Amino acid sequence: MNRRNFFRLSGMASIALMAKTAEASHGPRPGAPEFWGVLVDTTRCIGCRSCEVACGEENGMFVPDVENDGALETLRTTDETQWTVVNHFETSKGDVFVKRQCMHCWQPACTAACLTKAMEKTELGPVIWHENRCMGCRFCMVSCPFDVPKFEYDSWNPKIQKCIMCWHRTSVGDKPACVESCPTDALIFGHKRDLMEIARMRIYNHPEKYVHKIYGEHEVGGTGWLYLSAVPFEEIGFRMDLGTTPYPEYTKDFLYGVPLVLLGFPALLAGMNLMTRPENDEESGVHGE
Amino acid sequence: METYSYVNIFETKGLEYILLICFMVMMVLLFRYMRAGMRDKS
Amino acid sequence: MARVADERQSLFSFFKDQLRPRGKLITPFNVISIPVIIAGVIILFFRFTQGLGATTNLSQQNPWGIWIGFDVVTGVAFAGGAYVLTFAVYVMRMDKFHPIIRATVLNGFLAYVFYAGALVFDLGRPWHVINPVIGNAFGYNSVLFLVAWHFMLYMTAEFVEFSPVITEWLGLKKARRVANSLTLAAVILGISLSTLHQSGLGALFLMAKPKIHPLWYSEFIPIFFFVSSIFAGISMVIFESTISHRVFKMQMGPGSHERLNEIIIGLARGATIAMFVYYFFKALIFIHDDQWALIKGFWGAWYLTEVLGFVLVPMVLFAYGSRHKAVGIIKIAAVLTLIGVLLNRLNISVIAFNWNVADKYIPHWMEIVVTLTVVFSEIWIFRWIVNRMPVMREPGALGSPNRKRELQSLN
Repeated sequence: MNRRNFFRLSGMASIALMAKTAEASHGPRPGAPEFWGVLVDTTRCIGCRSCEVACGEENGMFVPDVENDGALETLRTTDETQWTVVNHFETSKGDVFVKRQCMHCWQPACTAACLTKAMEKTELGPVIWHENRCMGCRFCMVSCPFDVPKFEYDSWNPKIQKCIMCWHRTSVGDKPACVESCPTDALIFGHKRDLMEIARMRIYNHPEKYVHKIYGEHEVGGTGWLYLSAVPFEEIGFRMDLGTTPYPEYTKDFLYGVPLVLLGFPALLAGMNLMTRPENDEESGVHGE
Repeated sequence: METYSYVNIFETKGLEYILLICFMVMMVLLFRYMRAGMRDKS
Repeated sequence: MARVADERQSLFSFFKDQLRPRGKLITPFNVISIPVIIAGVIILFFRFTQGLGATTNLSQQNPWGIWIGFDVVTGVAFAGGAYVLTFAVYVMRMDKFHPIIRATVLNGFLAYVFYAGALVFDLGRPWHVINPVIGNAFGYNSVLFLVAWHFMLYMTAEFVEFSPVITEWLGLKKARRVANSLTLAAVILGISLSTLHQSGLGALFLMAKPKIHPLWYSEFIPIFFFVSSIFAGISMVIFESTISHRVFKMQMGPGSHERLNEIIIGLARGATIAMFVYYFFKALIFIHDDQWALIKGFWGAWYLTEVLGFVLVPMVLFAYGSRHKAVGIIKIAAVLTLIGVLLNRLNISVIAFNWNVADKYIPHWMEIVVTLTVVFSEIWIFRWIVNRMPVMREPGALGSPNRKRELQSLN
């Protein structure tokens, strides 16, 4: 083999190899858009709850009476009437307000749990729910590490309620209503790549102001919503024990095993039946007669 | 999570193998025990 | 023409006759079960008109209660006897277990129809239950998708396995031959499906990692569920056949008592081995996950109660009972095992689920009534079938590992 041929061959082999690895990995589709996300800087939030009002109005949900309901006194979770809530925490660094809603995980547990594809991770990032498919099994609620999907227990025709990141707006590139309503720019809408840079820059420029962690960077495999905080995240109601593994990975091995079992078992069992069969049995195997 | 020190994820392997040996010994004993009952019959 | 009409007439009167109740109406079981079933139906009416909140204590934190945790997850484990015994009889040709195969398969089939069917009560939007089947929304990325499909396919397989009995009941000889010929295929498919959906029920909880107490959560939950379904199924067969033997005594021939004891001793040996393996699996996971620190306090004690009190103890009793041919001890072991499996399934799905959350779920009395309704209805149907079809009457097989005997019993 001469030099030229050798290079040609090895070149071809490496191209074939590259093609193979590209095929084998479950990478993103080339040219797919990057996910939208929101950066929440809790040091900027003043607890005005404009986002709660905007969310209710935009999505036809409950609109809280922010002036008089005294809702900040108690620790709330989102529920079937409100997709987002702001909580108040008294911490070592004073009052902190935290807006909570669906985290719009990179690889959501809820969509992996859904057997009717009613929960959908859209190509642009927001996780949305399809009423015409959902059978109300609530497996998404069992699976969600943040307990986000909520169920209308008091209706004969219940819906799953959760933040859809104002899909009717974000699907055409507009900001979600809560981001638009925020008077202090505590919320920033954008691509995670850009949001991470902003967040890192803020920590770098004010190392004493923030804890050096961006919640949502790696949690449960990365989330669409990112949080900056002045105090450790445990103090403002975030779970730190969720791990960095995307939740669908927990069921991946089992689901891998399914076709293996269905391939192997019937043949093995039929084989065992043949092996245990006496030589002059009148039965003629699987087909009986 | 924000620690940068070594974690040995195979620390318990030795104990697991000891359990495995126990299992095999117990398995033999259990079999002998139950087989003895079947011999009584005949 | 007249003959056809005549045949139709006789078929009609046959069914009319078969539908008529047999036996006494006032029995302790009837007196208890009839009011419960009526109450359950009324409750279900309110559940479907006013939502799940009206009849259950489910909440946003606790989306699954005993309708899933007991009816589906535990009920299906208890129904595992059908696949274990069909494996023994049709694949391994253990002729010893023939006499109970019909009752066991019937029980397995009814358990799936009722307990898995009870899932529909728990669905918020049950009219969409057909979605993952008709293909407008195949969520094949979901463990529940797999479980749902397997339930349906398995019910079909169980029905095919049981169909020879139905054809005998109707006196259809040709159909019986066809049904017989399908048995082995249905058995093989049924066992494969069982392996997967028994473990699949465990896999449902894999993504609930942060919610289940670490002593119960493990990446091996599916394997635990599968192995425990073997001895849960066996224990249920022992339990059920003991009761059936008393209730339907007049249907069984002479010598059936000794034969049943022989069977129960054989089953106890199988249960011993399965529980032995399960127990060491548990120990292995305990060591691997380094859970020594968790064993303190309430949850540790509760865990030990389950694993020592209701796995190790019944295992020892099974071993002792099978060696000394003490059928009474085996029956006690079977009941303890059933309690143990019930505890295990409820721990994972309800009790140790959200163990660290203040808002604990305690089932509403109406949930319990509906659960009892499901159980009682199943027993009613079981009794109805046994009183009419040749389930217990002769120790016949379903299909035919032993064709000669089969044909003799037919003619």
